[in-house]
Amino acid sequence: MMPVVTASLAAIIFTAGVISGSLGALLGLGGGVFLVPFLNLVLGFPFTAAAAISLTTVIATSSSVSAGRAGKQLINMKLGMLLEVATAGGSFLGGITAQFVAQSLLQRLFGLVAAIVAVIMLTRLRRRNVILDPAADPGVLGGRYYEDESRTTVTYRVKRLPVAVGASFIAGNVSSLLGIGGGIIKVPILNAWCGIPLRAAAATSAFMIGVTATAGAVIYYGRGQLEPALAAVAVLGVQLGSWGGMRFGAAASVKWLKIMMALVLFIVSVMMFARGGR
Amino acid sequence: MSGDRPTSQRLEHAVGVVLRAGVTASSVCLAVGVLWSLVTGESGVARILLQAGILVLLMTPVARVVVSIAQYVSDRDWTFATLTTIVFIELLASAVAALLFNKKL
Repeated sequence: MMPVVTASLAAIIFTAGVISGSLGALLGLGGGVFLVPFLNLVLGFPFTAAAAISLTTVIATSSSVSAGRAGKQLINMKLGMLLEVATAGGSFLGGITAQFVAQSLLQRLFGLVAAIVAVIMLTRLRRRNVILDPAADPGVLGGRYYEDESRTTVTYRVKRLPVAVGASFIAGNVSSLLGIGGGIIKVPILNAWCGIPLRAAAATSAFMIGVTATAGAVIYYGRGQLEPALAAVAVLGVQLGSWGGMRFGAAASVKWLKIMMALVLFIVSVMMFARGGR
Repeated sequence: MSGDRPTSQRLEHAVGVVLRAGVTASSVCLAVGVLWSLVTGESGVARILLQAGILVLLMTPVARVVVSIAQYVSDRDWTFATLTTIVFIELLASAVAALLFNKKL
């Protein structure tokens, strides 16, 4: 059953978009991980309708964030385009799979991913994988960018490419199955195992997510699971929220926010399992 | 190594322009569509604006991939021209799947 559009429902979803967009910007996440459970568990939308709306907001966030970053060399375009082959393929398969599996299975999978995200958020290692000699050769897939804070040119090489490709495929698959961006799966792996500095990994992942989410969102759209009016207010809300989060969030203490949101995600996880277990 | 810098910068610039144009156009369509439907209720114009906004948003990453293919081809970087073409085909496959779902169900 598709939700019926009313002005008050549109206002609620716009507000939810603002909140998940700003939380996403503050935490370096897409925000879909908050929007999907809100639409599915609180408002009672079918899981696929919630995922479809969330994926549209993910495309908008990825596009506007990457447009702002283009030209700063923080996005590793070559690595991004290579890994997109894997994320888009995974996302295509996920979008099709989502049409044939029961909502309860998607909810349990979301519960699992939410718990993993919470754990990653609490334990995230800030490892740096940086070659400080600016003359070093980054190779075809490596990169080089200027870091404002440390006033240095950061150079890195990509290690264990097959791991990066595998992680990207899984991230793409989960993305369109669950309506999230999938950055939370890729970024820690690219950073911890593939030698990519956190900021470059996050920027490259955010860049890829637009294409990834599109491969899934198009399928939901064709299937008639995307309500344009509700997607519109969600997109506008998330855009406003992430703009505000990035503009005013620099001063905020992210540590407590992370702990609080990890707690929220654990609760989401339990609720998804409770709902999906019936 | 230093030889490919200008190329990658040109590509970054082009990609930035495409993404910004797509997001701006779709946000404007969506915002006007939402306001229009709030003022006039469910109307044909509002529906068209909302649909257009969603379609432009869905097309934005696709356009970004197409621009990248063009840039890699003009640079004769066949490896990356091939990789980005594969991504384009995957997006096309999604669109085909969407059309099939739409017809059958």
